[in-house]
Amino acid sequence: MTEILLKNVIKAYGTVEVIHGIDLAVNSGEFVVFVGPSGCGKSTLLRIIAGLEKITSGEVVINGEVVNHIPASERGLAMVFQSYALYPHMTVYKNMAFGLENSKMPKDEIDRRVNEAARLLQIEPYLARRPKALSGGQRQRVAIGRAIVRDPKAFLFDEPLSNLDAELRVTMRKELAALHAKLGGTMIYVTHDQVEAMTLADKIVVLSGGNVAQAGRPLDLYNRPQNTFVAGFIGSPRMNLMEAKAVANGSGYHLNAGPQTVEVPSVPGLSDQSNVTFGARPEHIEIVDEASADVNATVELSEQLGGETYLYCNVDGLPQLTVHQLGQLPVERGETIHLRFDRAQMHLFGADGNVIANGISE
Amino acid sequence: MVLETDPRAEPETIGHRVKSALSVPAVAFFKLLDVPFRWLQRLLGIGSMPYLFLLPNLAFFGLFVIVPLFLSLGYSVTGGTNLYLGERPYVGGEQYGYLFQCENYTDPATCREDRFWKAIFNTGVFVFFQVGFMVLFSLVTALILNREIRGRGFFRAVFFFPVLLSPVVVALIWKWILLRDGVLNAFLVSMGLDRILFFVDPTWAMFWAIFVSVWAHMGFYTLILLAGLQAIPPDLYEAAEMDGTKKERVFWRITLPLLWPNMLVVIVLALIKSVQIFDEVFVLTGGGPGTATQFIVQYIYTTGFANQVQNFGLASAASVVLGVVLFVLTLVQLAVTRRKDEG
Repeated sequence: MTEILLKNVIKAYGTVEVIHGIDLAVNSGEFVVFVGPSGCGKSTLLRIIAGLEKITSGEVVINGEVVNHIPASERGLAMVFQSYALYPHMTVYKNMAFGLENSKMPKDEIDRRVNEAARLLQIEPYLARRPKALSGGQRQRVAIGRAIVRDPKAFLFDEPLSNLDAELRVTMRKELAALHAKLGGTMIYVTHDQVEAMTLADKIVVLSGGNVAQAGRPLDLYNRPQNTFVAGFIGSPRMNLMEAKAVANGSGYHLNAGPQTVEVPSVPGLSDQSNVTFGARPEHIEIVDEASADVNATVELSEQLGGETYLYCNVDGLPQLTVHQLGQLPVERGETIHLRFDRAQMHLFGADGNVIANGISE
Repeated sequence: MVLETDPRAEPETIGHRVKSALSVPAVAFFKLLDVPFRWLQRLLGIGSMPYLFLLPNLAFFGLFVIVPLFLSLGYSVTGGTNLYLGERPYVGGEQYGYLFQCENYTDPATCREDRFWKAIFNTGVFVFFQVGFMVLFSLVTALILNREIRGRGFFRAVFFFPVLLSPVVVALIWKWILLRDGVLNAFLVSMGLDRILFFVDPTWAMFWAIFVSVWAHMGFYTLILLAGLQAIPPDLYEAAEMDGTKKERVFWRITLPLLWPNMLVVIVLALIKSVQIFDEVFVLTGGGPGTATQFIVQYIYTTGFANQVQNFGLASAASVVLGVVLFVLTLVQLAVTRRKDEG
């Protein structure tokens, strides 16, 4: 089993620093997902671990050994590329056997490993074909198979599903999860799709502008985001984030956002006259009667999906709010509804974007 | 109120006026063409118009390629020294028989037309080494120029530059370097070495013929191979690196197989050009010493035009033989290109 550590890793291209001193631990057997928007440095970080990019300073440690100067070919890791990167002139069998032939493994052993991986990935009938004669999903399996046969210290996946159509992506996602359960190896997976991150990961590392915004278990990130970036990035549809000014009112605070006032109890870390951002996920906004409402909203759009309903509402002084309700809701466009933020699930962030409270007890 | 101009139109600038003034002759030209083309279209129908547009080019092609081809065939089955085909006696395959009359095909001296066989032998040697070195050096150069080296654009231009020169200019430059009192010999003498009479020694003459021709054309083939190298996705090299592949193995197992379609095109094109070699070597060595660097095209030229007795029939027969060889090579090239396109 393999443990990977990054210690204050910095990567710069010339004078432009793209990774700003990242510390990270990937535990043995863990499925870690790097997630973030385009250009956040997630692929660069993966390539640094792979050895395909040299770091400017810091240390990459694999199983206790500093590998900064060890080339990719000798790190014993396997990578699955976004483009699959299959050798077009070789058959599926040869593609999978190539890495093993490099290490001068006996033919029988190569044969056994390739056939076993092919059986696991259900690509046995295609072993004699060239990649050109395969579908996207089949090519992806071959790319994964090429990684499996080498029995690597860890698997690195660079957005492996982004070239597949939506349906196939869901299927492959499930298969990858099953594969991890079966193989149990350390896996690092890069994606910009937070649904993939939530469903696959033991641990998610959210990256933003070359820094780790937060790392943790998927539901920890969902329930207890440490900053507005993670709050907005994790969750679909995204969390409603509203800027306000906190004004003490004796027992608690008023959060004033334009003409709207949301009353909250006293929260440690919250001070009078401070600028804050408060957040509520779409499913944590209730439709209530006018008397107990925080805000009155006009429905701009109502998406009826059958089992659930999404309402996009305009509220004077606030950005558009997304409200999620289970079941079917007979609400029409232009209708006025009364909304209340569930205090127990409400998030409060300071002016610097860092969390003050995740959940406010009344 | 009626406005004379569109109030929404952008104001006319001097640039607009210059452009419209410049377009006057072009508009007038197309208006002039319009009348006869409309008439032709009415007369022939719109389906015939593409052929009409192809006609000028086809006429030139026919005049300078197709007609001479048939004329050569005609001359090759006639004899005598008369220039006018109609006045030449028909001799059937006699010219071909003369060319191919040999006791031992591996020894040109036993052939009746030994100069032809010597030229074929010389061409064979030239083609073998020239194509071999051409492909080898083009490949090495392309591999180097494909790397992230300083001044890559400059070196690419430098290697391509000789391709832009006229073959005669290329030959004259090298002749100036290689003559008895040339630059190279001056250098050798200054180093305390003996002069080498490059154009007197048959081996040296053949060496320089090959060298100069490789130098002059390498840039073109380098460019084809460079394009092929750049078409190989960098991901594959990274995948190979992750697979723990050694550098030599990456070259033999990844680069070369993926570059092979381009290599085939280069080999076949170089082969065709090499068989046709004439101008550079003719200016450089004049085919000498003796007939040591006389190749097939020079033999045809000499037999048909340069000798005191101009033997058009025999020259044409040799041309037809060369034409057949080139036709076969072109078929191979077409097959190779088609296979490359189909991937």
